[in-house]
Amino acid sequence: MSHIVRIQTEVRDPVAVSAACERLKLPQPSQGVFKLFSAQAAGLGIELPGWRYPVVCDTANGHVHFDNYGGRWGEQARLDAFLQAYAVQKASLEARRRGHTVLEQPLEDGSIKLTVQIGGAA
Amino acid sequence: MSKTIEIIVAPDGGTRVETKGFTGADCRQASQFVESALGQRTGEELTGAFYQQTESEQVRQQNY
Repeated sequence: MSHIVRIQTEVRDPVAVSAACERLKLPQPSQGVFKLFSAQAAGLGIELPGWRYPVVCDTANGHVHFDNYGGRWGEQARLDAFLQAYAVQKASLEARRRGHTVLEQPLEDGSIKLTVQIGGAA
Repeated sequence: MSKTIEIIVAPDGGTRVETKGFTGADCRQASQFVESALGQRTGEELTGAFYQQTESEQVRQQNY
């Protein structure tokens, strides 16, 4: 082992957003301007189960816009699950694009472990 | 030892990327594509193996 890096996920890839929605069996995202209670946001709109307003991913800057009123208009866990699915799909896509093999494994604490074998067959 | 990159994606979407089987600073270059694809780096730890290699390189340089 050589080094460990911690990363805060930014949602920048529409292909991985679409793959994350498919993984979670959510409707496919749509591009547009969406109303979030008193505000508006432009980007890829995602409908999360039980959420009053969509989550809007601005893939130009990686920001995610939402208004769930501190959990009253939508469970935070649903958004967290989307961000986890996005990170898994994005990391897998990039690794496979470079010809590496990716093994996915769920962990007991709810995390997902990806093992990327460098130089492995795609 | 085979070269692998281990990525742990937490339930809230935060990720931890760890390189294994690399020598010295090669690990930084190897995992760069994953890091830049996922987002902003919030922290980095260099482990024993990284420094071990760096020290042996220094000894070799001193012997010249």
